[in-house]
Amino acid sequence: MDLLDRYLQSVRKHLPFERQDDIVAELRANLEAQLEEKESALGRPLTQPEAEAWIKQLGSPIHMAAHYQPQQYLIGPALFPIYRHVLKLALFWAVVAYVIGTVVRFIAGAQPDGAALLDAILHVPLVVLYVAAWCTLAFAAIEYAVTRGCIKLPQLEPLSTLWAPGVLPSIEQQNPARKPRSFAHAVAEVVVGFFLLDWLLLIPHHPWLLMGPGAVILDASPYQLAPVWWQFYWCIVALNIVQLGWNLENLLRGSWRQPHPVKHIVFKFMGLVPLAFVLAVRDHALLVLKHPALDQASRGATLDVINLYVYRSFIVIAAIASIQLIWDFAQLSRNAFRNRAMPNA
Amino acid sequence: MTLAENLFENLRLELRRGCLTLAVLAQLRQERYGYTLRKALADDGLVIDESTLYPLLRRLETQGLLASQWREEEKRNKRFYRLTPEGEQIFAQLLQEWHSINASIQQTINTTVNPTL
Repeated sequence: MDLLDRYLQSVRKHLPFERQDDIVAELRANLEAQLEEKESALGRPLTQPEAEAWIKQLGSPIHMAAHYQPQQYLIGPALFPIYRHVLKLALFWAVVAYVIGTVVRFIAGAQPDGAALLDAILHVPLVVLYVAAWCTLAFAAIEYAVTRGCIKLPQLEPLSTLWAPGVLPSIEQQNPARKPRSFAHAVAEVVVGFFLLDWLLLIPHHPWLLMGPGAVILDASPYQLAPVWWQFYWCIVALNIVQLGWNLENLLRGSWRQPHPVKHIVFKFMGLVPLAFVLAVRDHALLVLKHPALDQASRGATLDVINLYVYRSFIVIAAIASIQLIWDFAQLSRNAFRNRAMPNA
Repeated sequence: MTLAENLFENLRLELRRGCLTLAVLAQLRQERYGYTLRKALADDGLVIDESTLYPLLRRLETQGLLASQWREEEKRNKRFYRLTPEGEQIFAQLLQEWHSINASIQQTINTTVNPTL
């Protein structure tokens, strides 16, 4: 039968090379026996439409041949849980190492600027991609070697015997953010926030409240704070007013037990704004000379060094604040996902 | 196919997979070739696609549960399969396990339907 021959020919093309003849011969014998029986029951050969319908119900040649292929994995089910665990650890520590390396490079290296910082941040996905790719490649190679008997990893097989209940970590503390706050805690936040705001508003008239004896030293020195610090200062004041307002609203509306976590994230994000003002200062001029015309020649170099180190310190602070923000956002997303999956939890 | 139908189909295939192996092993206590095996299973109410049954025979042979032999019958070369001694042993164990699971499920269903029993 021409149609059956054409079908078997197509199946053959998708079979493992070394078993093509054997499998096709067996398939042919079985299918021809089936065909003979059909035709004997009908008392005539199958018509073209009947033959096509019969061949069609066998499934496409690719589908038929696929069942003869051994199951193939890039990383098999035995190795996959270990791969996933190692991948998580590798990604976490790679990002941590990259952040530490970048911060150290900025502190010790050449003049860091906004473009270099942005470049460093944009490199994070590449680092993640490289680590994930190498990790996957390494495990795929292990899987390949294990399945072909090139290496034997006996410790992977009885994985369940490698652990003991005694070494399980102790019960983790409940996330403090999820614990309901007491009324006293909420009142204390408002009262402290109010005094903190008062203290902040007094600083321009009484700098010693912030700097202590440093205020006298700064006053006597040839240096003074650059105008950008006023922007920084008013941003901090505004942030404290917003926070005090939120805390007061929580108290008045009776929602102090579980403050909305998004507010916490938004507030942290707003905290980056004053840092951005400081980091955006031209030539890192955070301190300036009181009398540039007189002192520039003798004190200009010292001023540049001080400004550079103050600027680098603020880069470190901004990096830490950004990492905290990302971490909090990730935690918030994870909790939201968990709550959506288990609404009654 | 709706989502529920798709889910049912997946679960049905999962449920059938192990049972098919057991049925094939049971039939091959007597020597058969692919087509007669398929017919015998269908006569017993277990219809299996060609694309499922014939590769399954190859896998069971690779695992050492079946032995095969090419032989001429009715002027046509056919590959006959039957259980190996190891296959007979495994079949007996699987059959016992299947009886045990079947009895447990029946017991669970009876208890759930009529808890006072």
